[in-house]
Amino acid sequence: MTNPLPDSVDYVLLDEASIQRRVMEMAAEISADYEGIHNEDFLLVGVLKGSFIFLADLARRLTVPHRVDFIALSSYADKAEATGAVRLIMDTRADVAGRHLLIVEDILDTGYTLRYLYRLFEAREPASLRTAVLLSKPDRHKVDVSLHYLGFSIPDVWVVGYGLDFADRFRTLPYIAALKPRVYEG
Amino acid sequence: MSMFQDIERVLISEAKIQARIVELADELNALYDDADLPVLVCILKGAFVFLADLTRHLDFRHEVDFMEISSYGAGTTSTGVVRILLDLASNIEGRQVVIVEDIVDTGHTLDYILRSFTARNPAGLRVVTLLDKPSRRAIDVPVDIVGFEIPNEFVMGYGLDYSEQYRNVPYIGVLKPEVYREGLGIS
Repeated sequence: MTNPLPDSVDYVLLDEASIQRRVMEMAAEISADYEGIHNEDFLLVGVLKGSFIFLADLARRLTVPHRVDFIALSSYADKAEATGAVRLIMDTRADVAGRHLLIVEDILDTGYTLRYLYRLFEAREPASLRTAVLLSKPDRHKVDVSLHYLGFSIPDVWVVGYGLDFADRFRTLPYIAALKPRVYEG
Repeated sequence: MSMFQDIERVLISEAKIQARIVELADELNALYDDADLPVLVCILKGAFVFLADLTRHLDFRHEVDFMEISSYGAGTTSTGVVRILLDLASNIEGRQVVIVEDIVDTGHTLDYILRSFTARNPAGLRVVTLLDKPSRRAIDVPVDIVGFEIPNEFVMGYGLDYSEQYRNVPYIGVLKPEVYREGLGIS
């Protein structure tokens, strides 16, 4: 089933096949790196809402046993852009101490969210802490954070689909598209 | 250690699940249009794989939201009362809501969620579940769209776990009985 591009979409940046191929490559790389680790000791933490599609596809391609957990964050309405202040809405259910933790994120933009997650989890003394991020916008980075597994580096355009939204819209498109500037410029 | 050593057999293959999901999405596509702007509510953790595949086939505007719940432990299964660990980010009053579940078993949890949501006065409330085990039902709950009716077996995969394992298996499998007997302390 192929649906027409929504009006607000300018062009497809990454089509479904390219995303799936890259996710499979990332899963192979991660599986090789975490080979031999017991199920209980390898924890994927998906950051809601944006990462659920990436997580669902990535996890299904992993050949090593692991557990899945979720964390929900929210930015403060004011000044969030400037300070990167993040509010924790739901913590992980699993205790991360002594476990190999892989944070699964849809996009690395300013880096504030990932930096927050690093600080949060490092304080809990995991056995290791890495990140798998589907998209990175190097032009937007404001803080340095380590990235271990990256899907695609993309230019600074507003992208939607495959978990990413604009005001909760377009989140479940199977591809990643650039929005028409008029949509987000109001 | 193989990831699949505890699996007795495949109950529903990956191809069958994916084909059925297209049909389920078409049922939803017939029920909703852009103006309805329904909220699809995923009940974590189990339903996230189903949600990810289902929503990619929808052709009407929609939003997704998440809810994570936990039981209080022994003694509460008959009432279905659960603790809400993550509530909806959106206000569903006056909205069309679709609850997305991986499996309906006794129905207690779903019944509790339905009561909790009804109290918030949504404009409409439907339930779609990938799996249904009618033989286990202890309370009558309305389920609008069902992917597969399955017998009373210990299933895992496609979001469903056994003791937090196997959620990422891309098909629905049946666990070897000795595995969960061991887990329950039955020899």
